[in-house]
Amino acid sequence: MHEMVHEEAPAQSAVPRERGRAIVVTSGKGGVGKTTTTANVGAALAAGGASVVLVDADVGLRNLDIVLGLEARVRHHVLDVLENKVTLDDALVTDKRVPSLRLLAAAQTREKDDVDTVAFRDLISSLRDRFDYVLIDCPAGIEKGFVNAIAGADEAIVVCTPEVSAVRDADRVVGLLGDNRSIKLIINRLRPALVRKGKMLSVDDVNGILRLSLLGVVAEAPDVIVSTNRGEPVALDAASPVGEAYRQIAQRISGTLTAPPEVPREPTFFEKLFGSAK
Amino acid sequence: MSAARRIVLTSGKGGVGKTTTTANLGAALALRGKRVVLVDADIGLRNLDLVLGVEKRIVFDLVEVVEGRCQLRQALIKDKRLENLLVLPAAQTRDKTAIGELQMAEVTAQLAELCDYVLIDCPAGIEHGFRNAVAGASEAIIVTTPEVSSIRDADRVIGKLRERGMPVRLVINRLRPEMVRSGDMLSVDDVTDILSAELLGIVPDDEEVIDTTNRGEPVALQTESRLGAIYDKIARRLEGDVVAFTQFGTPGFFGRLFRKAG
Repeated sequence: MHEMVHEEAPAQSAVPRERGRAIVVTSGKGGVGKTTTTANVGAALAAGGASVVLVDADVGLRNLDIVLGLEARVRHHVLDVLENKVTLDDALVTDKRVPSLRLLAAAQTREKDDVDTVAFRDLISSLRDRFDYVLIDCPAGIEKGFVNAIAGADEAIVVCTPEVSAVRDADRVVGLLGDNRSIKLIINRLRPALVRKGKMLSVDDVNGILRLSLLGVVAEAPDVIVSTNRGEPVALDAASPVGEAYRQIAQRISGTLTAPPEVPREPTFFEKLFGSAK
Repeated sequence: MSAARRIVLTSGKGGVGKTTTTANLGAALALRGKRVVLVDADIGLRNLDLVLGVEKRIVFDLVEVVEGRCQLRQALIKDKRLENLLVLPAAQTRDKTAIGELQMAEVTAQLAELCDYVLIDCPAGIEHGFRNAVAGASEAIIVTTPEVSSIRDADRVIGKLRERGMPVRLVINRLRPEMVRSGDMLSVDDVTDILSAELLGIVPDDEEVIDTTNRGEPVALQTESRLGAIYDKIARRLEGDVVAFTQFGTPGFFGRLFRKAG
């Protein structure tokens, strides 16, 4: 896999700051947790001190605003910016909890075909001048919305659940992402008890097929549904084990954590009894 | 003989269970003696073949039918368990623009001459693939989960379908009664109120689905199982029968007692 050693162009701007990283979160299959991952990894990176902008590339079916609980604050969207109706600053929504986290919402009443791929790529490029991380929440599928979402990203996170159909779609997407992007894997919604019973693919089963660098494994947890419905990323909940998994993923992305990801295990009898694993 | 009903299963949001619902509803209808053709409209990201366990038997696909490279009948795969259940797989190495709405409508119309039900498994999203999948259908089943994001996407899709004058009915998938009871999940009434669409079925979250999906054996084939019975009910409602809904996640025993009393 290509690591991005060539990416550091000689500093031409007067600002001595390195450009931020543009990472697309994608999967092929829908509903595997792209938006949840984008929100939580972004929140964890921002809570760790980085400046982060989350870009919802799912024009027409946006949801990142809901998962972040910012839907009532969205006034303008990415197409307004691309069509020069408002400035970028007008469209960026600042997170309620983490001030270094911003959202650029997708248009809800427009189509993906309305987005010009080159203009979108240039927008991502300009965001990299302002933020440490630009996380792009890709729509499901491999149509125009996918092409737009990956255009400006030189890194990709593939989110996959331990299901045959999700693995097949992820494999297809890895092929479409090409060889010039760093591609890393998050396995989402693992149920350790089902894996033990042989009723769910294991981490090794999934990555035996995909063979990607593993960024993290996130267990299935009802609190993710609750936090998503409430618009409160679980990564900001210090007591949540799933939140901890996202925080570790963020640390692996930033390079502050080098230990390989742990595979979630079933709670022990005492943890079940006292609820500490919940 | 009158032509089949042509029903698209769609959702907006991905991963809510369109393909699983298509496979299981198709199997349930076939078990009731209906002749059913399932069409995978997810060109490039096909999965219906996996869920039905026919992936190794694919010779031709939808795109090859449209391009005239094979006869329609050559591309249809007969299920090994139910001989009146057929699948038309999508192409895997092409993209959605390989076919257009008119061509999709033509193929669906031809299929409708062969069977009682054509069920079309729509891709996620509302792009070209969605428009193709809808083009051949005269009615729609919206699959949604009781989550805010899924409902918002369903609402958007329902709007698009109603613009076309297409009747829509709702399957609420992966309901967790214990979470509804604890107030952590939207209830069936919440979802139907928001979407104001007629309810066709409620499918509880069940880990059996993950396993049966991975093994390519639709759970609806296990007619004695809880989910098998649920898909059979959905099939009967589709047939026009009036079948009472199982109450999931309504306030427990005492709540029901009071309701009866009142």
